[in-house]
Amino acid sequence: MGSNTLRVFIMMLGIAVGVASLTMMICVSRGTYEEVMDIVNRQGPDLLQVRPGTDKHTGLPSGSREVVSLIEEDVDAILQHIGNIRAVSPVKDRNEIEVKYGDKFTLTRIFGVIPVWAQIRDFGQDRGEFISDEDVSFAARVCLIGKTVKKNLFEGEDPIGQTVRIKDVPFTVKGELQWKGISAEGRDRDDRIIIPITTYTKRLLRDIHLTQIVITVQDTGKIDETIEDVRALLRERHKIAPGEPDDFAMRTPQDLINMASETSRSLINLFIGIAGVSLLVAGIVITNIMLASVSARKGEIGIRRAFGARKGDILIQFMMECFLISIMGGILGTILGYGGSVTLSILKVAASKITLLALAASILSCTIIALVFGLYPARRAANQSPVDALRV
Amino acid sequence: MIKTVNIEKTYVKGSVSTHVLRGITLSIDQGEYVAIMGTSGTGKTTLMNILGCLDKPTSGKLELDGVDVYKLNDDALSALRNKKFGFVFQQFFLLERTTALDNVLLPFIYADRYPADAIELAKKSLASVGLEDRIEYLASELSGGQQQRVAIARALINDPDVILADEPTGNLDSRSTDEILEIFSRLHKEGRTMVVVTHDQAVARYAQRILELKDGQVRESSVANPQK
Repeated sequence: MGSNTLRVFIMMLGIAVGVASLTMMICVSRGTYEEVMDIVNRQGPDLLQVRPGTDKHTGLPSGSREVVSLIEEDVDAILQHIGNIRAVSPVKDRNEIEVKYGDKFTLTRIFGVIPVWAQIRDFGQDRGEFISDEDVSFAARVCLIGKTVKKNLFEGEDPIGQTVRIKDVPFTVKGELQWKGISAEGRDRDDRIIIPITTYTKRLLRDIHLTQIVITVQDTGKIDETIEDVRALLRERHKIAPGEPDDFAMRTPQDLINMASETSRSLINLFIGIAGVSLLVAGIVITNIMLASVSARKGEIGIRRAFGARKGDILIQFMMECFLISIMGGILGTILGYGGSVTLSILKVAASKITLLALAASILSCTIIALVFGLYPARRAANQSPVDALRV
Repeated sequence: MIKTVNIEKTYVKGSVSTHVLRGITLSIDQGEYVAIMGTSGTGKTTLMNILGCLDKPTSGKLELDGVDVYKLNDDALSALRNKKFGFVFQQFFLLERTTALDNVLLPFIYADRYPADAIELAKKSLASVGLEDRIEYLASELSGGQQQRVAIARALINDPDVILADEPTGNLDSRSTDEILEIFSRLHKEGRTMVVVTHDQAVARYAQRILELKDGQVRESSVANPQK
């Protein structure tokens, strides 16, 4: 009695481990995908970002080449010549700029933009007012501060109407930016100050060249076409010969997806490996344990045959037993897998989502494993000679 | 109803051939109680396995009720065993973790049709061997004698033509041995054909006819008791 229970237990355990890995892999993949799509949707599936330089991911210049590519006239050209554009904004930004309020001091990133930038980036104010067209026309010294800057300089105080000094130039705080959190690259989006782009150029930093052009498209279905139109226009304007690389980089929603999923990808690959190997091991365990079982149950096979069992009856009997054990192991494994995914989610190691797809995949893999790895021992049982089995 | 013609069985291992049965020709009629006697290793189990269609001879013919069984395929032979034979073995071969009742039901699983009154029939069969109080006991919870009686009930359940028993009392004490042999005698009186294989003279004496197996051949024994 004991040895048979042990055999059943080991087989179930093997399957359970394999199925648990498979389940976790599916739940983590699903969860990660949804998390990424969430980020993409929050940032805007219609958003294109153009940066100078050829490094697609960081927009940093490659080598030591001076970054001189994007200018404000490029923005006008895009608006004029490219279809499917909803809005375009030039951006000039620089990091590590000193900002003071009273005796408080912080280093933050300054963005020079135009009013439509708030819609494009879905990043407006939750108190006060945003930059206006007039502010841009007059290069007014007004700004909006992000939540982190507010915390660093004002603590509990109300910043609206107060004067801050950006690089010793006084600016009036016109509003507070809404809270945004961490970006896909891990940067604090609330650690910034927005000012009119004209003020940026005239009063602060005098850069002629843009650090970004941000664009929203009308029809996201045509976004790939639009990307190519913008690319062609800029290449022409920058006089880039065919065959030469772009002197700018475009970041599309697809790039965001690729970037954000890179981290989870290694985890998923790990799980694919573990799931594949453990299912294979489970199968091998099934075969071996069943062979032992067939061996131990020779007498049973013999007596069944003596009383009229055909070879096919024995085959089906052992296949069914294998199948049942496999399914039970699969159910256990699925529960463990779901539990594991939820744990990973809670510990913030990886996003995961409980899906029925995992259950379906578990049932399918159990069935296949039972069929593939149980067949050989079942055939051995069926071909067992009754005479040998019933020998004294 | 069982007729063999020149049954031979040879085992070949490497270059060594062992001729266990060297031309057995016999016939057993319905209702007879036959004992096949011989010392260990003479091939009496081999002969019983062949008679019960569990094994095939190297050459020779076996007829059951006029049917040449070696014209049948493996599945047909299995069906034949289910209908015609009830086996009883020295080691009982019950399913240990199964109740006496479920053990007795085993032959029905492989019958053409699982009878609607299967459980009733099984209870009756167990009652006929004196185990009506033990039907829910696991086989492992029964004594040797009781286990062998369950095996007999199982062998009887499908109402077979022949009971084939190989050393049925080999693993039993003398009291259980007597019980079992009494049951066999009763079954014979009720009209069943009994074939018992044994090395034990005391067991063989219960039979009506004794066939002695020696050097691969049988001969009718003069010690038989046809009055039984």
